[in-house]
Amino acid sequence: MAAVEVEHLTKRFGALAAVDDVTLKVEHGVFACLLGPSGCGKTTALRLIAGFLAPDGGTIRVGERLLSSRNGVVPPEKRNMSMIFQSYALWPHMTVSENVAYGLRLRRLAKAEIERRVADILTVTRLRAQADRYPADISGGQQQRVALARALVVEPEILLLDEPLSNLDTNLREEMRFEIRRLHDAYRYTTLYVTHDQVEAMTTADLLVVMNQGRIEQLGSPEEVYQRPRTEFVARFLGGTNILRGRRVAEGLVDCGSVVLRCGAGQFGGNEEAIVSIRLHDIDLAADGGRALPVNEATGTVARHVYLGGQRDYLVALPDGQQLRVVTPPAIDIPVGTTVKLRLPPERCRVLPE
Amino acid sequence: MSSAALPRTHLDLSGLLFAGLALVLSALVLLPLGWLAWFGVTDKGGAVTLGNFATLVADPSFVAPFVTTLAVALAVSVLSCLVATPLAWLVGRTDMPGRRLVRLLVMASFVTPPFLGAIAWEILAAPNSGLLNQWYRTVFDLEPDAHLLDIYTVEGLVFVMACYAFPYVFVLAANALERIPADLEDASAILGGSRWHGFRRVTLPLLLPSLLAGALVAFLQAMTQFGAPAILALPAGFHVITTRIWSLFQYPPEPHLAAAASLPLLLLTALLLRGQQWALEGRGYAVIAGKSGAPGRVALGRWRWVVLVGALAVLALPVLLPYAALLRTALVPTASEPLTWNALTLHNFRFVFEEFSATRLALANTLILGLVSATAGSALALVTAFLAARRVIAGARFLGFLATAPAAIPGIVLGVGLFLAYTRPPFVLYGTLAILLLAFVTIELPAAYQQLRSALASLHPELEEASRILGASRARALWQITAPLLGSSVVATWCFIFIGAIRELSATIMLTTADTKLVSVIIYDLNESGDLGAIAVLGIALLVITFVVVAVANSLSRRRGDPAP
Repeated sequence: MAAVEVEHLTKRFGALAAVDDVTLKVEHGVFACLLGPSGCGKTTALRLIAGFLAPDGGTIRVGERLLSSRNGVVPPEKRNMSMIFQSYALWPHMTVSENVAYGLRLRRLAKAEIERRVADILTVTRLRAQADRYPADISGGQQQRVALARALVVEPEILLLDEPLSNLDTNLREEMRFEIRRLHDAYRYTTLYVTHDQVEAMTTADLLVVMNQGRIEQLGSPEEVYQRPRTEFVARFLGGTNILRGRRVAEGLVDCGSVVLRCGAGQFGGNEEAIVSIRLHDIDLAADGGRALPVNEATGTVARHVYLGGQRDYLVALPDGQQLRVVTPPAIDIPVGTTVKLRLPPERCRVLPE
Repeated sequence: MSSAALPRTHLDLSGLLFAGLALVLSALVLLPLGWLAWFGVTDKGGAVTLGNFATLVADPSFVAPFVTTLAVALAVSVLSCLVATPLAWLVGRTDMPGRRLVRLLVMASFVTPPFLGAIAWEILAAPNSGLLNQWYRTVFDLEPDAHLLDIYTVEGLVFVMACYAFPYVFVLAANALERIPADLEDASAILGGSRWHGFRRVTLPLLLPSLLAGALVAFLQAMTQFGAPAILALPAGFHVITTRIWSLFQYPPEPHLAAAASLPLLLLTALLLRGQQWALEGRGYAVIAGKSGAPGRVALGRWRWVVLVGALAVLALPVLLPYAALLRTALVPTASEPLTWNALTLHNFRFVFEEFSATRLALANTLILGLVSATAGSALALVTAFLAARRVIAGARFLGFLATAPAAIPGIVLGVGLFLAYTRPPFVLYGTLAILLLAFVTIELPAAYQQLRSALASLHPELEEASRILGASRARALWQITAPLLGSSVVATWCFIFIGAIRELSATIMLTTADTKLVSVIIYDLNESGDLGAIAVLGIALLVITFVVVAVANSLSRRRGDPAP
């Protein structure tokens, strides 16, 4: 029962540091998500943990065992991990059963035992009917489940997943998300899941690790990271937000031009410039509310209005040119061009360092 | 307790492997070239001199063939483009019926050895005995020395060489057309352009790089060939550069002059190849992709059948007529006898396969050499391609360069170089099959390497990684995953090397002796002695073997489990 410990991990490709001084500890049994945009280093970090790449600096340990360092790397076949690749990497010249049985055959289990375990996992992943078919002849969702079955049948301690759902359509993605989490809960291994999809990350993760340009921006539980983002990047990336730029004029008070905001959350950085983040659905919108109060209220004009069924998405232009996006319940229906009053409650205004 | 990371033991092995491979490849390529260069700049006494080049430039019997070669090659190139481009367009972009048949016929002319085609056209269009001339005389009741066609002319040579060079242009043009999505032409049509306008302004410019590359290939083919010119130009009384070089080895031999004459040919080939690469390297004509549909086909309406008849008429020239001529000649005892049921005989077949010991030996030699070259060449290409594609060791790109370098060496030049390199101690290989093996492997290596390299490129490295993370070592992953998936590509490559080896003549003619004759050389010898019946049988045997092997290779490329699209 060992934790995965990554310390000061660095990997360079030429002059670029794809992974830059990353430190992370994932306890056994935890479902950790590495979340970030393309090029943030999450896949490189995963491949370093798997042993396909050698680090330029830092170490990777599982429990007491040193797996990777500058001086050498334990090869992937000796790490007792399992991996699901973005392309699934199913072997086209083997049937579904043969694909799944491969790892067990390498471990020299008895034939009867192999057959039993393969049958069990195929039942769990609902692939019994496809057992003798070839990967080219089954659907994308089924291929994904074969990759899952193949990785799980060897009962790994650590499961690595590299954007496994990005090739599936939306409905299937949702179903598989829950499936992956369900299997994690049933078998209790450690999962490291790389994705750029924040919904995927938030619905499956115990530990969310937000990465950007090779570094960890923030880590914590999904709720923690969403409610209390510590940088502009994290606030934008997870959940979308409005960012207002201004000057700090007093304790907790920021002058953003069109509006002065008292901020009830967050922390100032060292300097005068400050950023305020307020989520799209935290702003109150009213068509006619009289004059705006001096603090935490502003007037603007509706520049764009989109109906999305469950909600309405507004773009409101402020007098000084800044724009705010506001999401409201469908009942609030305000046509384009109307003057509106916006209320930005102080407890929803979060100050972030510049 | 911490376990130390495993040491990288396989680094030493791969260093050795790299060194060994680099040595083998360098020796294959550099030894003959080195000797060639040495002979070119020395005289009979061994002193370094530029006298050989001076002789070449001053002597009209060298300059004329060089000029002729360039003129002929240019004509072949232009003719090939003119024939191949419309054919490629018809097959790729219209609804002409019988497209598959047309493609098959083009493929048949692709694999027909040009020297065999030349001989078949001799049978058809020699001024006195040619079948077509005989028919012409009979139909128009003319004197015995009247003739419609004379194949023993410059025009005749250009025609025959173009017959077997145009498929290269066709393949390049057809591939290019496939890659140009129909949306581009549709966009032109929707904006009001006519079909011809769309073709001229949209398709043709995008086709140009491939057409240029094709033209260069056809030019190179014509410039470096020995067989067809030897068969058609020599009786007509003129030389091309390849036959002139060969003639320098007839008695009395002039190896120094031959070496000196080979060098410009080598240089020109290398330059043209570079030009071809440059043409294909996406000169700003890259098609910027979005999603696009399959190419729509132009409806030809009433013209469909007319066009098909035209295409078949054109393809009769390299394929249908010559094959028919060979078949006829094989089945009658002497070439001049008219074709009737009574005259049909298997006499020629019996002669070739049972009585004439030279042919039986040649057949055996050819098959053995084909098998061994194909196996050795495939193995060499596979290891080199794997090291280069997976970047297992530093410097793998250099290995790739060595593997593709022989493409710049014309067959006859390689023959001369190997002759010079291996007729002296310590490696006296001349007169053995080994020297021919070296020649075939060297000649076929570049194409084999490219094929396996692209097969490996289409094999996602994650397939090997997936097996490694489940516990397989690198070697086991190679054996259980890469090898089976690459299997059909390796066999296809094997087949192509085999076919290339059995029909090679340009280098072979320099390197065979009485004991090591091959089928291609025997055919050439028999042509000198006028034994057309035997030639026809051997030619048909060669073609049959080639078609069988091609069919096997094609069916394997489409085997289940092949991950390539």
